[in-house]
Amino acid sequence: MVAQLGNWLDERFGWRRVWELIFLRKIPKVNWLYTLGSATLFVAILQIVTGILLTIYYVPTPDHAYDSVQYISTQIPAGWLIRGLHHWGASAMVVLTLVHMLRVIFYGSYKYPREVTWLTGVLLLLVVTGFGFTGYLLPWDQKAYWATTVGTRIASVAPVVGEWILRVMRGGQELTAVTLARFFGVHVWVLPAALLLLVFIHMYLIVRIGISAVPKREE
Amino acid sequence: MADDDRINRRGFLSIVTAAIGGLITAGLAIPAVAYIIGPALRSDKTGEWIRLGSTAKVELKTPTLFKATVERQTGWIVNEEELSVYVLTEDGRNYIAMSNVCTHLGCRVRWISEQDQFFCPCHNGIFDKEGKVISGPPPRPLDRFEVRVEDDQVEIFGG
Repeated sequence: MVAQLGNWLDERFGWRRVWELIFLRKIPKVNWLYTLGSATLFVAILQIVTGILLTIYYVPTPDHAYDSVQYISTQIPAGWLIRGLHHWGASAMVVLTLVHMLRVIFYGSYKYPREVTWLTGVLLLLVVTGFGFTGYLLPWDQKAYWATTVGTRIASVAPVVGEWILRVMRGGQELTAVTLARFFGVHVWVLPAALLLLVFIHMYLIVRIGISAVPKREE
Repeated sequence: MADDDRINRRGFLSIVTAAIGGLITAGLAIPAVAYIIGPALRSDKTGEWIRLGSTAKVELKTPTLFKATVERQTGWIVNEEELSVYVLTEDGRNYIAMSNVCTHLGCRVRWISEQDQFFCPCHNGIFDKEGKVISGPPPRPLDRFEVRVEDDQVEIFGG
């Protein structure tokens, strides 16, 4: 019955062919360091799931942000777990993305024909950094407030356009409700959209070109 | 599968992968469900004794209006709410306390002493002084609170 339904759907979707292309690829003999990209993807999915759950209670305004985060952590069943996973997952994202990048550098995997995969990877690193920077403000505690004050201040030392960048980031001269709202908007809409698009291209290229082999001594 | 029933390497790894994936999914899905439905399961009945005022203020045989502020917490927001309660005593010893919220659609009733009845201005609901419906649309008498007298103070149980 299930097999019949599967066949019926496959006749229309052709999903078995897609499945084979993605998961039953021939891969060269590689080592565990080649799983770092998959590990990053896994944590990214975890961040999406826990992040969506957090928005159910979180409110991005100065009079509610801190209290709603405390409410999640102390009053909601498993709230500490969901927030904890998102918190530690954020650090894991940065670490894994960087280590994955180092692996690609040291094994020379960025070379022809994988230059575009590398480029999307560089953009993904920027997106991950953006997630970290915008997400850090959202709990709206002292650490968040001052870290963002300093972080946006750093942008302002850029020559000529610095002050203007600071004003755009903060939504004005000061760090206010406007800043919190736009950081939230960037964190939950702009960056996730960019992440999904880039991950899709990144994955498509990996499936299409295949992963690189460990370089041989004579190469 | 080979000719015999022994499981091959590929089959084994598929099962292990699916099992680990299933465990991770369940490990996340179960807390997620608890997280989402948590506030809905919380009991709203966290009552306490609320002090209304001195028994000396209660007029004999006439419903007397008392106001008390109660703190009500919804999620992470604490609101002060004003509670209006009519207290009635026939003999100075036994008290009844009635909510001033009309049982029809939630408007506030008020005591009209000339007519000796409660009147709700929204849809002309009329109650007698013990809160029983005389006429109009209200489906049941005015809600009552549990009352006690402590140190000559009238207290009701609510929250």
